Formats: sequence, C-alpha cells, structure tokens
Amino acid sequence: MIKLENVVKVYATGEISLTALKGISMDIKPGEFVSIMGPSGCGKSTLMNILGCLDRMTSGKYILNGKDISGLSDNELAEIRCREIGFVFQSFNLLPRMTILENVELPMVYAGIPRKERRERALAALERVDLSNRIKHRPNEISGGQKQRVAIARAIVNNPSIILADEPTGNLDTKVTREIMKIIQQLNDDGATVLLVTHEPDVAQYSKRIIQMLDGEIIDDYMVKNRTVF
Amino acid sequence: MNLIENIKMAIDSIMSNKMRSFLTMLGIIIGISSVISIVSLGVGGQNTITGEFEKIGVSTIRITVKTAEAETSDYITYKDIEQLKEKIDYIKYASPIKYQTGVASSERKSRTAMVYGTNEDMIYIDNTEILYGRFFNKIEFEEGRALAVIDETAARSFFGTSDAVGQTLNIGSSSSTKKATIVGVTKSQFEMFGSMIDEEEMPVIIYVPATFLDRLYSKESRISELYIMADSKENTEAAGILATNMLMNRHGNRDRDVYKAENLMKQLDQINTVLGIFTAFIAAVAAISLLVGGVGVMNIMLVSVTERTREIGIRKAIGAKTSNIMFQFLTESVIISCLGGIIGLILGIAGAYLLGQLAGITPTVTPQIIIVSIAFSSAVGIFFGIYPARKAAKLDPIEALRYE
Repeated sequence: MIKLENVVKVYATGEISLTALKGISMDIKPGEFVSIMGPSGCGKSTLMNILGCLDRMTSGKYILNGKDISGLSDNELAEIRCREIGFVFQSFNLLPRMTILENVELPMVYAGIPRKERRERALAALERVDLSNRIKHRPNEISGGQKQRVAIARAIVNNPSIILADEPTGNLDTKVTREIMKIIQQLNDDGATVLLVTHEPDVAQYSKRIIQMLDGEIIDDYMVKNRTVF
Repeated sequence: MNLIENIKMAIDSIMSNKMRSFLTMLGIIIGISSVISIVSLGVGGQNTITGEFEKIGVSTIRITVKTAEAETSDYITYKDIEQLKEKIDYIKYASPIKYQTGVASSERKSRTAMVYGTNEDMIYIDNTEILYGRFFNKIEFEEGRALAVIDETAARSFFGTSDAVGQTLNIGSSSSTKKATIVGVTKSQFEMFGSMIDEEEMPVIIYVPATFLDRLYSKESRISELYIMADSKENTEAAGILATNMLMNRHGNRDRDVYKAENLMKQLDQINTVLGIFTAFIAAVAAISLLVGGVGVMNIMLVSVTERTREIGIRKAIGAKTSNIMFQFLTESVIISCLGGIIGLILGIAGAYLLGQLAGITPTVTPQIIIVSIAFSSAVGIFFGIYPARKAAKLDPIEALRYE
C-alpha cells in the first residue's frame, strides 16, 4: 500500500540546510496499524507530511497504492489528499464557522459528490464515531473529545486508503484518549490502514506495529507485543 | 465544487463579518451611486434641453443681420417678411423679434420686463401653450394694437391670478408708457428651471405686436432678428438659403455678407456636446472613488486571507485544489462589490431623483447605465480580488496549518 524508498528531505533556508529525513525506506500493507514514534525533531512530522502529500520530498520514491507520487503537480496531490488520505490532527482543525455536519461534508464538496449523497455519507460517518446527535452544533459548542471524533468522521468520509493521525490525543486527557483510540482501533478492525504519529508509548501500544525514529532515520521497526485492545 | 457551494460559502463569510463587509462595500456604494446619479442627471438635463429646443422646433432658422457691418438699408422690414412667406413655399411661418428692456406695471406691482415685439406667427414658432385667451392675430399686428401676451408666472406676479385676460398693463420706458390689454396667458416660459428660481425673481417676458413696440419707443421698424419655420425638417436648410438669398436680392447687398442663418439644432448639438463632456468629466471624478472602493475591497480581502490562513490550510489538507481556494476568495470579493454595486445603483437612482427634484431636472435612468454599473462593480471585484485570491491559493498547506 505504502512504499517509501530512500526518502530524503532537506530543508534549505538560506545558507543553512537541515536534513530532516536521511533516507527513509518502509513498507506498509493494507490493514496495518502503525505508530511512528520518536522524540520531537526526529523527523516524524516531516515524514507524516510527505506521506500525507502535503509536502514534497527532496529525493527518493513514494508509491501509494501502486502509484508513484514523486513527480505529481500540486493539483494532483490535492486530488490524492482528497480521495486517498484522511487526516486527523492534534488540534482537530475543524472550521469554526461551519456546523459539525458541514465540517464532515467538506471533503466530499471538494471530491465533487452531490449534495444528497454528501448528507447521507456524512451522517453515516458521524454514526461510526457515535456523534449523530450533535450535527447542527458548531465546533466551539462541543468538547475536545467530541471535536476529535468529528475530525475522525471527516477523515473517513471519503473512504481514504489510509488514515494519518498526527498526535490525535495530544490535546486530550487520559479518559478521552482511550475513547479516541478505541474508535481508531475500531476503524482499523473494520479494514482501515492507520498511521499514527505519537511520542506517548501508551498510545503507541494500541497499534500493531511501531516504527521508532531518531534524527531522521528509522532506528527500530517491530510488532507490538501485549497490545492494548478493548 | 460548484458555483452554488462557493456562493454559499462566500455569503457565510460575508455575513459573519457584517460590519466589516458593509464598510468595505461602502466605497463601491459611494462610487456607483455617485456615477449613476451624475450620469442620470446629465442625460436627463440633455433631454430637457433637447425637449425645449424641439419645442421651438427643429425646422426653425434664425436669421440675423450682422449689425456691425450692416447699413441702415440692410435691415429687414415687415414687407420683407410678408414677401418671404408669400414667395418661398418652404417657409410656413416667419416672425421678427425686436426687444426692448422696459418697465411693466399693474396696480399691484411694477417690474422690469423684456418686451418682445413680434407678429402673429411667433406662437407657432415658439410653440408655447396658451393657457388663457389667445395670441394676437394678423390684423391686430398690422394695426399695431396695444395688446400683450404674458406667461402665467408673470400673470400671477402682476395680477395675483393666472387668468389675466382682459387686464391692462402699463408698458414702456420710465419716461413714457402705454396701456396694453392682455389677450393671452401662456404656460410659464421658465418651467425648466422649476423651483430653482423664485417666481418673483423670474424674468418677465411680454409679447406685443412689433408694430406696437415701434409706437411705444417711437422707433423706425428696423428688424435685425428674424425666425422662420420651414414646412418640414428636410426643407429647413433650403428655406434658410432661399430666405437669405431673397433678402440679399431685395436689399441689393449681395456683395456684402450681412445676413446670417443658423439652424437652432446646431446650437443644440453644441450645448449637448458641452453638457456631455461636463457630465463625463464629473462621472470620471466619481469613478475614481469607485477605484478607491476597489482598493478597499482588496485591502479587506488581504486581511481576510491572513485571518483565515489556517482555514485555507485545513481546506487544502482535506483536498481543496489551488483553484478551489482561488475561486472561493474571488467569489467573495465579487459578491461584496456586486452587492455594493446593487445598493449603489438603488441609492444612485434615488439620489438622482432627489437632486433632480431640487434642480428641476427629470433624471433619465437608462438600462445601459444599470448594466454598465453592475458590470463595472463586478469587474472591480474581480480585478481587486484576484491578487488576494491568488495569495490565498498559493499558501503552503503546512505553513498554513501551523499558523495561529
């Protein structure tokens, strides 16, 4: 599903250049639930941005669903973000002026899905995150945990190939973290491929596989033992 | 991503910042409304003047004697006028005009007046409506009877009533006056000025038989100004040429060019040209304010793009293309300017009628003005919206998502 070959990312700002990724290679198969771990500055966010087609790599190869992403234009990347990738952010990133329902419908607006179908699919997605009763509220009227559930609904509504979650529980307390991780695990059980960035070992413990990064390199890659399951 | 979605989003965004959106529109509103009022009033003014001229008649020619070069024998006589009418088929009416400034007084009032001496044809050439009584006739002209025709504002001023038929007016210079009987009252001569001038301030014009004017001022009948009206618009030019030819023959002054024939329509064209330039100039000045309004739209759109950097990042992350973002912001600026344009249009028309009421001009609102103003405000929206929209569309999604 995801295949990275020797991915290098160099940030060049004026005289100084910083190599954030020093030749990352990895293979992620459909249905996997992978945590990427590492201290801050290790390049895991950069990796996430490249995997999410938000950023371009300096060199290397990225194959998503058999398609080479490396040379695509901005609009082609937008198309891939729209249809293949579901983002879940640490700070939720919901649009404050829109209702919950509208927020979840938005990716489908960009995918060109007709209004009626959008409504149905958004309601179904909100059902999956157990939030079908607050669809007319705005993001500032609901709790952090609920916001993240809306964000998850938004991420899955276009049936993406992978769900990329960047510290999804970073702003949440332990109890809510458990709720969110339960939902993500559920999605994975239902067949979704999940990639999670975290620096909390507890959270990583919910996934099936852990990739450990340090200074722009993968230092460890192992299957999770004694996985936390609900 | 269709147009309706875009318009809905744009309206949401405009409504969430009502005050700011309105203030942004204000520039466009002021610009469009002032252009509309000025142009409508300008065109209305042109139409009023054209109407006045057409009342006098498109087939009217004014023949004047160039007094600086003329000798006594060159002046037009009553006999000339008779002959012109008789011999030239194209000429339907011919009237001399002589005027003297004098004093006119009734029992109520004494006022300075312009006394116009003419003949019975003047009522057709002048084409003024008679409200009461009648104009003097041919016999009365020939006999030099002491009769007068005034307009209704003068009638009210002298007699306190519009219907002054049968009343007498003392007309003449300060040294000698003669009584003249009012036989007719015409519609106000200065209607086009409306309420701009107080009735008592309006000049008094008194039409009398030219022969009576001669008696009044004891002067010989020298005529330096003559109006002729042709039987049709087409024959007007020819009638003028024939008339001056005949005058030259009768006075034997072919060698000297002392008669001048002018078609009033030519003067009208000149006046309209001047008025048109004037209107265009003021409208251009007003259009500058529209430009300033456009800059206002751009300014606010730039602020809006900065404020919504994060929103743009989110939209891009979940799949918005560059064109989607661009179109979203462009729609917003076009809606702001268009809405401003529509409000400006309404206010402009209202303003034109209000100012028109004060100035006594009926504004003319043409469909072209409406179409052009709406098109222009949309163009302002596109022109001044494109830069902010491009800026929004080009934002790097990662940077935008990090923006606080």
